[in-house]
Amino acid sequence: MTSPLTPPPVTSPPVTQPPAIQPSAIQPPAIQPRILPYGDHAILVDWSADKFSDRINDTVHALAAKLRKSGKYREIVPGYDSLVCVFDLAKRSADATKRHIEDILARDISSETKTGKTIDIPVHYAGDSGPDIERICEASKLTLDEVIALHSGQTYRVCMMGFIPGFTFLSPAPKALHHPRLETPRAKVPAGSVGIANWQTGIYGLESPGGWQIIGRTPLSIFDAKREAPFLLEAGDHVRFIPQ
Amino acid sequence: MTLTVLHSGTQSLIMDAGRPGHRHQGIPGGGAADKLSFAIANHLVGNKWNTPALECALGGLHIRFEEDHVIALSGAQMWSQNQGLNLPLNKAVPVEAGDILTMSFTRSGCRAYLAVAGGVQGKSFMGSVSTYLPAKLGGLDGEALKTGAMVHIGPKQGEPNSLPKGHTPLLSNHVVLRAQHGPEWEALSDSAKRYLFTTPFYATAATDRMGTRLKGDLLALETPVNMTSSPLLPGSLQVPPDGQPILALVDGHCTGGYARALQVIQADLWLLGQIAPGAAVSFRRSLAEDAAAVLKSKNSFYADLIPGFTF
Repeated sequence: MTSPLTPPPVTSPPVTQPPAIQPSAIQPPAIQPRILPYGDHAILVDWSADKFSDRINDTVHALAAKLRKSGKYREIVPGYDSLVCVFDLAKRSADATKRHIEDILARDISSETKTGKTIDIPVHYAGDSGPDIERICEASKLTLDEVIALHSGQTYRVCMMGFIPGFTFLSPAPKALHHPRLETPRAKVPAGSVGIANWQTGIYGLESPGGWQIIGRTPLSIFDAKREAPFLLEAGDHVRFIPQ
Repeated sequence: MTLTVLHSGTQSLIMDAGRPGHRHQGIPGGGAADKLSFAIANHLVGNKWNTPALECALGGLHIRFEEDHVIALSGAQMWSQNQGLNLPLNKAVPVEAGDILTMSFTRSGCRAYLAVAGGVQGKSFMGSVSTYLPAKLGGLDGEALKTGAMVHIGPKQGEPNSLPKGHTPLLSNHVVLRAQHGPEWEALSDSAKRYLFTTPFYATAATDRMGTRLKGDLLALETPVNMTSSPLLPGSLQVPPDGQPILALVDGHCTGGYARALQVIQADLWLLGQIAPGAAVSFRRSLAEDAAAVLKSKNSFYADLIPGFTF
């Protein structure tokens, strides 16, 4: 990597208690992301975590909130373990944007994420609403009721929105339910479909093509342009699935 | 004040400058795919640069004006006539009630912009009337113009303008895009890195406002890329495992999971709207230290001419 924007060597957060080390008081060091140019008008902040981490996603959203509040950028797009900040090259440089991000990340901001709202999502599991749930029962050797109980038995965090309006990417499903995508994506997945793709679980906000294993469907509209508040959910919220 | 769509054409859409700032909600900025040509068309008829206009892809749009208007065409070079008389590109022209405008096949470029003094009207969503087909936003009920549709025209804003010589963008069927490395550039094989900047690609029929699938030398990845879904921008060239790259365009997905090999520079993003199926597409390396100067000179070239417009 020869880019002028490669991050500086990782510096550990300052430790300010030299004499008596109390193991319980030591926080694990914050994981330092790579801060890379993404073309000439965007910066990518990339934690590239092997495993989903609440703490990294908290940091992503806290960083997104601070950058958005500054009003200096065209787009702030948070991901699971990454964030893209789009600036106007006529008004800002990549270096200035990078420094702004580094300044914010100089201290651990993972606890500053505002906790969003929690929404109950009614779901019709199985049947026509969830044509792929049998496959997950077979692979996990669980009964239908057990799969439903597992999937609806935890609260999920909304980690990011997109790729289309209203598509809701959630924190990981319970391990027994992890399953690869369909080998051939469907041309049409109905709006409200709840699916699984590897460790990810999520909700299709609109009818769209898609390759996730569909296990159920909610009658709620995650995105409705005609509604006064078009988006039911935003990143940082939490959802609970309520079997119907 | 209206115009009537006599023939809808390949894809004719109501567009303005789009709704930027919502990619975190899965809503692309969208708007006119070629914002420069769109701004020029508006400027010529005396509109503010971001006034809603019609974006006509590949031709086929026929329109009847129900009153006298001033119109201008910009962007793709189409064989266009009013009442059977050839219409010039990049020039404000008066039309009369009952006149029929026909936009036929495209010679170069992909999208022509038809601006009408006063602008066209559509349904606003998040501050923009730009049509976004996947979620049926903006436009006339979120859809492309249909034959028989009536499009309303707003009140006149100002006097027509002309374009000084040399300010007309030249469009070609070989679109050359300046680009810098994307975040996953290093995942490409050495041969793929070389091909990207030395050989032309061709836009396949799988080309729309969301993206264009390119055909050319296969781009091999040095290492398999197993990414968690991550944000994606217009002008990103993604390389999936099959080696056929996909260029994200103005309505492109907000997140993606393939290697982002290249990113088109800000100064050239407007050209993404002029890639027609079958066009050649080449990438030229842009150096990080040059891009800001390129943008500055392009902005200042149009700044005095079109108030408020920037790339």
